[in-house]
Amino acid sequence: MNVAVARTPAELAFGGELLPHPRMEDWKWTNLRTLIDKPYPPRQKVSASAADIARLIKSSPFAKIAATRMVFVNGHYDAVHSKLANGTLEPRVKADEPVLRLNQAFATDGAKLTLSGTADTPVELLFIATQAEPRAIATRNVIEIAAGASATLIETHLGEGSYLANSVTEIRLGEGARLDRVKLEHEAADAIHLSHAHMTLGKNATLRDLTLTSGARVNRQNGTYAIDGEGGDAKIAGAYLLAGRQHADTRLVVDHQVPHCTSRELFKCVMDDRARGIFQGKVIVRPHAQKTDGKQSSHALLLSETAEFDAKPELEIFADDVVCGHGATCGDLNRDHIFYLRSRGIPEAQAKSLLIAAFVGEAFETIAHDGIREALEAYAATWLTDHRKAP
Amino acid sequence: MNAMLEINNLHVKLADEDRAIINGLTLSVKAGEVHAIMGPNGSGKSTLSYVLAGRAGYEVTEGSVTYKGEDLLAMEPDERAAKGVFLAFQYPIEIPGVATMQFLKVALNAQRKARGQKDLSTPDFMRLVKERAARLDIGQDMLRRAVNVGFSGGEKKRAEILQMAVLEPSLCVLDETDSGLDIDALRVVADGVNALRSPDRAMIVITHYQRLLDYIIPDHVHVLSQGRIVKSGDKELAHELEAKGYAEFAKAAA
Repeated sequence: MNVAVARTPAELAFGGELLPHPRMEDWKWTNLRTLIDKPYPPRQKVSASAADIARLIKSSPFAKIAATRMVFVNGHYDAVHSKLANGTLEPRVKADEPVLRLNQAFATDGAKLTLSGTADTPVELLFIATQAEPRAIATRNVIEIAAGASATLIETHLGEGSYLANSVTEIRLGEGARLDRVKLEHEAADAIHLSHAHMTLGKNATLRDLTLTSGARVNRQNGTYAIDGEGGDAKIAGAYLLAGRQHADTRLVVDHQVPHCTSRELFKCVMDDRARGIFQGKVIVRPHAQKTDGKQSSHALLLSETAEFDAKPELEIFADDVVCGHGATCGDLNRDHIFYLRSRGIPEAQAKSLLIAAFVGEAFETIAHDGIREALEAYAATWLTDHRKAP
Repeated sequence: MNAMLEINNLHVKLADEDRAIINGLTLSVKAGEVHAIMGPNGSGKSTLSYVLAGRAGYEVTEGSVTYKGEDLLAMEPDERAAKGVFLAFQYPIEIPGVATMQFLKVALNAQRKARGQKDLSTPDFMRLVKERAARLDIGQDMLRRAVNVGFSGGEKKRAEILQMAVLEPSLCVLDETDSGLDIDALRVVADGVNALRSPDRAMIVITHYQRLLDYIIPDHVHVLSQGRIVKSGDKELAHELEAKGYAEFAKAAA
């Protein structure tokens, strides 16, 4: 314990918990001690008007797609606006890292959901923060996809004002289950978003996971994907659309524990202005996990001279009969592409938007649901003009 | 009748090099005419097409280009396109992730918007593309694929002509549209181009070889050498060139 370190006001508001800093290997690029520059007291009582809640629900890009919705307002289940009743499931994941520890200490509520059947209709978990004094909002979700079930789950995070959202989601996929999960981080411009997703894949389970990160001034997302049943198949995709001084750091660990499993990671990251994107992906292949097929790649598109992208791929392989690899690229928009589009009458800004949407669109292909993909494509297509027009 | 395009004493160099590529080129093209520009490699053919389309990297040091009475060189590339200038690229650019159909729709509606017209409705657009694509042997599968990605040489050239057919420009500049085509593909492409010939439309067909001009019969043929037109004539000039080669004309330019 670093008992000698003087706590920051933010740390004091969290009961003195030392926040992660670059001397911790997993936090090399994200110093929460300085990035969380003011106190965000947890467990605050905040009231929100029904009109505000309704307006924020409508602002979800998936408002017209998700037939079934569970809404959490300022960290609490909102029965009035939810079409799905909340259940009871116990969290299983141990709090072995800082985001999880904070969540364990301060979580007020969260979705507890078992999905069975094979209906294709997406279920949306919508997390809303309303305008109020700066505070921390923590939710803990536990979701089970029953054996043989197939489901599409959307997780949307949005809000207004200044707040810190801490979201932990545990998902267990039963034998032969399939889950398409889409997370959209569209938090308020002045928000901080910290999350941890912990997925466990049973035998022959299939996971298609996509996270689009575009909101919040500071974002740190951890993902742990434990493949503990043979035939498990995980495709994990991510997209960043960052501008201004936004900072987003994703750290994934894909843990191959058994033989004959497949994992793919594909990150497509767009950074404009002084934004900074980070992708840290680790693939572990345990000694018995022969015939593992694991690949990861990250690709960055830098729209300005001052934008930055850092990638850190890691492979820890303890088995000898595996196929694993990683790759990373970084570049700017191709001038020939822009000229070709303009020569057909497409104005420059629109040409760039089209190319950006095409770039991140590769990540969206992970998701099978057409309506969700189209909503994400529309979101990406207007992102450039939206943020450049913003004050 | 005023010419649609007036190129007057045009001088062009590369922006980052002091080497002149076009040296006093003068050309007048009227609506309804097809002009062929022939010349050896390095004579400035592609530079001319890029300067007309507005590609960055070239500097006009002297002369003017007037299109429908306006200064073409002062316009942005997308403005030129909206006003009816179209370049069929020698090497069409691959755009991963943008479906051909989507690209055509965005381009057409962007041009319509610039001209103060309403977007074409999706059914009208689909009908238009389907009809124009059929003439060029382009199936739904190709329209669903990303622009030029994984297209064969012939498919790329047909896709260029399809864009031209959908966008219906006034001035078509075809840069070595015959390169990389076998005889069957050449015929399909030439038929597509000929279908677009009209009294309101002018074409500049840039080519190295006379072969294309057996299919797209030009009204005028110009020989380009060292950045200048050194000889002009009718379609017979193309045959003469094919028989004698460019060497003689290169001498005349020196």
